[in-house]
Amino acid sequence: MKRHLFIILIALFGAVTSAFAAQRTVKGVVISSEDNLPLIGASVYVTADDMKRAGSTQSTLGVITDIDGKFSIAIPDGVTRIYCSYVGHDVLEVKLLPGKNQYELTLHPSTQMLDAVVVTGYQTVERRKLTAAVSKIDISDQMVGAAKSIDQALSGQIAGLSVSNVSGAPGAPAKIRIRGTSSLNGTQDPLWILDGMPMEGTDIPSMDVLKDVNNITQSAIAGLNPADIDNITVLKDAAATAIYGARAANGVIVITTKKGRAGKPVINFSTKLTYSPKYDIGRLNLMNSEEKVGLELDLLKSNYIYMSGKGEVARIMNRHKLTEKFQEGGWDALTPQAQAEINKLRSTNTDWNDILFRNAFTQEYNLSLSGGGEKATYYTSLGYMKENGNVPNVSNDRLNLVLKTNYKVNRMLKFGASLFANRRNTSNYLTESGGETNPLYYSRLANSYLSPYDENGKYNYDYDVESDIDMDSGFNPFEERAHTSNESTINSINAIFDGELRFDDRFKITSQLGLQLDKTSMEKIAETDSYAMRKERKDHRFNGTTYLPEGGFHKANENSNTQVTWKAMGEYRDTYNDIHEFEVMVGTEIRKTWYETLYTAGYGFDRKTLTTKPVIFPAEDKTIKLHTKTYKENAYLSAFSTLSYSLLNRYTLGGSIRFDGSDLFGVDKKYRYLPLYSVSGLWRVSQEPFMQGAKWVDNLVVRASYGLQGNIDKNTSPFLLGTYRSDQLLPGGMEDMIDINSAPNDKLRWEKTHSMNAGFDFSVLNQAINLSVDYYYRKGVDLIGIQMLPLETGFTSTTINWASMTNKGVEVGLSTRNIQTKNFMWITNFNFAYNQNTVLKETIRKDERYPSREGYPVGALFAIKSAGVDEKTGLPMYENKAGEVVSAREFFKIDEWGFGTSSLTPEEWRDLYTYAGTSDCPYTGGFNNTFTYKAFELGVNFSFDFGGKVRTQPNYAIVEFDRGRNGNREVLDRWTPTNTGSQLPAIIDPNTYYDENGFFSQFPQAYQFTDVFVKNLNYVRLQNIRLGYTLPVNVVRLLGMNSATVALEGRNLLVFGSSYKNFLDPESMSNPYSTPVPKSVTFSLSLNF
Amino acid sequence: MRKIYTVLLMSSLLLLTACDMLDIQPVGKVIPTTLTEYRALLATAYKGVQPTGGLASFRSDEVTVRDNSYDQSHYGQIERWDDYNYEESTTTFDWEKPYNGLFIANFIIESHGGITEGTTQEVDQLVGESYLLRAYLHFKLVNLYGQPYTRAGAPDTKAVPLKLNSDVNELLNRNTVGQIYESILSDITKAEELMTTEAWETKYSYRFNVLSIPAFRSRVYLYMGKWNEAYNASEAVLAHKKELTDFHAATVRVPNHYESLETINALDPVFNNLQHSAACASSALLAMYGEGDLRPAIYFKAADKDGNRFSNKSGYIEYRCTFRTGEMYLNAAEAAAQSDKLPQARTRLLELMQKRYTAEAYAAKVTAVNSMDKSALVQEILKERTRELAYEGHRWFDLRRTTRPRIEKVLKGGTFVLEQDDPRYTIRIPRDAIAANPGLAN
Repeated sequence: MKRHLFIILIALFGAVTSAFAAQRTVKGVVISSEDNLPLIGASVYVTADDMKRAGSTQSTLGVITDIDGKFSIAIPDGVTRIYCSYVGHDVLEVKLLPGKNQYELTLHPSTQMLDAVVVTGYQTVERRKLTAAVSKIDISDQMVGAAKSIDQALSGQIAGLSVSNVSGAPGAPAKIRIRGTSSLNGTQDPLWILDGMPMEGTDIPSMDVLKDVNNITQSAIAGLNPADIDNITVLKDAAATAIYGARAANGVIVITTKKGRAGKPVINFSTKLTYSPKYDIGRLNLMNSEEKVGLELDLLKSNYIYMSGKGEVARIMNRHKLTEKFQEGGWDALTPQAQAEINKLRSTNTDWNDILFRNAFTQEYNLSLSGGGEKATYYTSLGYMKENGNVPNVSNDRLNLVLKTNYKVNRMLKFGASLFANRRNTSNYLTESGGETNPLYYSRLANSYLSPYDENGKYNYDYDVESDIDMDSGFNPFEERAHTSNESTINSINAIFDGELRFDDRFKITSQLGLQLDKTSMEKIAETDSYAMRKERKDHRFNGTTYLPEGGFHKANENSNTQVTWKAMGEYRDTYNDIHEFEVMVGTEIRKTWYETLYTAGYGFDRKTLTTKPVIFPAEDKTIKLHTKTYKENAYLSAFSTLSYSLLNRYTLGGSIRFDGSDLFGVDKKYRYLPLYSVSGLWRVSQEPFMQGAKWVDNLVVRASYGLQGNIDKNTSPFLLGTYRSDQLLPGGMEDMIDINSAPNDKLRWEKTHSMNAGFDFSVLNQAINLSVDYYYRKGVDLIGIQMLPLETGFTSTTINWASMTNKGVEVGLSTRNIQTKNFMWITNFNFAYNQNTVLKETIRKDERYPSREGYPVGALFAIKSAGVDEKTGLPMYENKAGEVVSAREFFKIDEWGFGTSSLTPEEWRDLYTYAGTSDCPYTGGFNNTFTYKAFELGVNFSFDFGGKVRTQPNYAIVEFDRGRNGNREVLDRWTPTNTGSQLPAIIDPNTYYDENGFFSQFPQAYQFTDVFVKNLNYVRLQNIRLGYTLPVNVVRLLGMNSATVALEGRNLLVFGSSYKNFLDPESMSNPYSTPVPKSVTFSLSLNF
Repeated sequence: MRKIYTVLLMSSLLLLTACDMLDIQPVGKVIPTTLTEYRALLATAYKGVQPTGGLASFRSDEVTVRDNSYDQSHYGQIERWDDYNYEESTTTFDWEKPYNGLFIANFIIESHGGITEGTTQEVDQLVGESYLLRAYLHFKLVNLYGQPYTRAGAPDTKAVPLKLNSDVNELLNRNTVGQIYESILSDITKAEELMTTEAWETKYSYRFNVLSIPAFRSRVYLYMGKWNEAYNASEAVLAHKKELTDFHAATVRVPNHYESLETINALDPVFNNLQHSAACASSALLAMYGEGDLRPAIYFKAADKDGNRFSNKSGYIEYRCTFRTGEMYLNAAEAAAQSDKLPQARTRLLELMQKRYTAEAYAAKVTAVNSMDKSALVQEILKERTRELAYEGHRWFDLRRTTRPRIEKVLKGGTFVLEQDDPRYTIRIPRDAIAANPGLAN
């Protein structure tokens, strides 16, 4: 062993020994202009070309600076310049002056410049050889600003990466799409890589049911502290993602965290204090008390029978038995007492905005310590953040701890160990199954004539919140807040251990072992005195009485998600004759995941004693699942390889291939391994001899790639695959039964996606203008979808390769240094993406009444053409295909006396719709400006989304209008016999229009899916505006600091674009349950010791 | 350096062994191979047998739908034979479920040779049951969606597709009534060759036993109007099991209870809970029980506040009954009478009556029955059948196979008529089934 080492050492020192023959030794020190501290590990070298020109036999020559930033290099005769480079800094060319052998080299950080290397998670690729479409972004205080998690901070930063906020609630995940939607069934979320390790638990559940937004859980991304992140690389095309296998079909986001640098210890402290004012539900344009009372009186007068007992006015009338009198004689027929009571309602104007929402404070503190010596470096950090929501009781806090060390055993062997631990606590409101008490939703329902407390300070209940007429469960937001809770705690650990064995400059072996552990505990409690519990009791009744025991409920979920990944890679690179450069990497990866969930529910719960009571179920079909456990285990085995060949440093060819194997229980062996591959090429035009004259061109690169990705449905098997269940036919005869999940299917093929990418990178005038343009075309064929089966098979559907779809688009990234003077600099970063997505083929059920997306985007919205309101009846009118305006009866072929049935066939139904647009905005991007003046820095960042459509919900229902709830003012302008000019339809009177009333209540889409509710979605969001000031160095030095920055930032202060009248925010227009992104102002302070 | 090579070698070894790592048996998931697993699979098929008899009863004159918006919206149109514009809320007669059962039965039949960890006898029994279940499901289907075999020309008319394999890619067309009956009889014969279990534990008595074979055969032949074969099959059952519940006893358990001593097989659920609570005994049915009949007091609950009488024979899982001895007495009597064996017919009828009537009433019945000619006796047997098998899912099918009489129902919404031999005696194939296989429309 020792001998071998000795030989290698000899070889390594070969360069040094031959240097003794040279004529001069240059010495010096390298420092960074950032902090005027020495840079350790910077390379000082002579290019191969210069060596050749100097007539040297050696091909390479270079040294690395030591712990004091010092270097010493022996230079052969004839060499007139040396270069100095360091990661994240511009390369410095130094002309060697005759006789001068001592130099001080100052490197400038390359914040807005192209980086020398790109981390793809598996490899570190030199930018000059990068054939793939990749975007890299450095994460800085300025960039993250007041964003609480890294996914939100990416908004508007990278071309082709769109971020939409599912909910603005604390801790809620952001929905990220890279280059549009690639799958019709599966997940559409990108794969996240943390320091080389793929993360689990980053998929966001799809929200088909709008009110589920209440229960959305945090993704693993929320556990990362943005302050610990150094940079992010987004891999977009197949050339970059093929190496990640099937999981990377939606793109890859690679996170590289900060690490320690050799040198004296650096302490960073930062704090952010954020104030977020409450929402202004004034935007919702809700009725005030006067208007609402007027509406209720109108409806009572007109004898509108649907739920006529709801609303406070109706209750007053009923109490005084005046309803009929009022209908005959109007207001004057009421007794003075009833009049007084109604007038009191008119004059009560409760400010629900103030009750349901609050101004919120958020605080964040980060402390990090990093440094190291020649042998080892370390980075440790501690972060705490507590974000309060604009809804009382809603908050999210996060405690982060990061420990990272890198240790160099000897010249060959390096180890690194990282630990990312975090604990998150989320507290949320509890809603009952109907979602009505969601504060955002309730803010639209609450009548301003209702006060939450009566004269004696007792709770006043809102009996109109329920959608039925029983009115036996009242709701009071204060009571609910005091007697319910919904909390979850997530404990999460990511541990990564890696080793690198470098035999020489050409050959190295690296290995990495990662462990991820996420444990989520959720607890929902409702006490007896709460609406949630009253509703629960009501939902579980037998013969009119509840069978739930006296007391509250306690529901708990325990989920755990574990993964272990181990990978090993060998890399070999070599150069021949200075012309041919080769790079080969071969690796393997093993991954195992475990997923467990446990759900338990207890009734008769008492918070004080923590006891529950047994539930006695009255009948077999009345049982509630009180305990559910699931367990899933998966294993994956992969092998992969990349290859890169460069000729003359101008032409590069790249290729990658990966085999993915996984435990596909019951799946044909031939489907276990799928090869995924990519080929790519690059031409550095700017290096061509003919471009040598164009000195102003820094870089011009043309790239192209093609790749194949694939996926297989794990639930389909050529065998009969069953799931155990315990059941009985006769009393006492519990036994095992096997349910068949799906029809055995041996015809299913791989789902394949072909991706093409072509682009160029262009930078000129000393990188004053950097332009990157990419065009991509992606075609998914044999996409796995559902096909209906003849029922005689015994099954309704089977999974087949039936759909196909294309995505094409253009991405433009343009960064410009507009003005640069001694004191002032203006940098602009503009990115833009256009994505066109088309479903080529899709099967739908034969009895489906909504059109197929074939020929349209995945997010296609179809609408029925409306044509105003019939002046005589107030019923909505429609426009048929011939362009004629016809009545609803004719348009929908409503049967006469048919209880609201229609004789339209499903096919005719589908034909009524026309394409209205897509819900995914095709044009997205960001426009980010940084102005620097002396020590001040102003950042103004916009993000924009254009060309989309959104389907909103009608402002009032035309059938089954619930008069008990408050709503938008629009209902006041509706068509009535005295307001026949209105373009807003009447509330349909079931007595007069029996068939229409029945029809619209059976087929709500006939009104809700009309074109008037499809709104444009074009908006520009002032993502953030930030003014930072760096304190003068002499001042901070006095305080013992290296640097100090203070900043004030406004986030989401402004949104403009197409109208979002009656809504809080354009992004939450489609979902009335969703919490919009709040506005906020943040003060931040960052100190560096 | 050697150490490094060792590490490399070890890593590659680790990789090779890692291939085994992919063989994960997911918890709760299974590809059936053993007898126990196939038994669990067949249990699912048994469990999937639907209460079609109860649903069909709404079409007969036996029950009326309770006046309640839920029940009316689910069963009202069935009661009114309003088959042409079913609303979405109306319960449809099942199609996919029985075919799912057929898939499993076929799958087990095809796996006969490959079932492990069981004796030949056990495996044969399981496969035999699958044959019998396949026959039973086809029998239910053909009697819902096919013309009654006994109607002139019916055997050559198209009914439902026969499903005799587990291929899910095969597109099927409808087979004739005759072909289906032929297949049913052939499956029963195959079951007979394989099955050996005489009796199951009571809690598993939903599984077919040996005696189910002649019992089923007796019903099939009865529905085909093959009287001699029906008589022989019924007598074959009664030769082994002839116990009848005595209604004179102090406490009487309804005979379609799974623990009843009359039970031959307790698979068919007949009425589910929802149907049970919607089904009021019709006045026509109640009027059929004469003085001295012990059954009404046991079969029906007292009238509720609306005057409705509900059944004591349904609504809970213990009332599963496919075949019982009571039916065998009636099958034997009817088949005997039809094939001019009047004394044998009288004997079987009176044996049943003795257990169902008070002594005086029985004496009167003896006199009456003994004086009846063939046609009067057949009429009496059919009436007794209606009384005895009320709420056991027989009535609609008995009407179909016999005279298909005109039925007039005076309901809240008006008077509704099913004409003599009305085409609606055959139920239309569900729309979603035709949507999924348009070939069924032909």
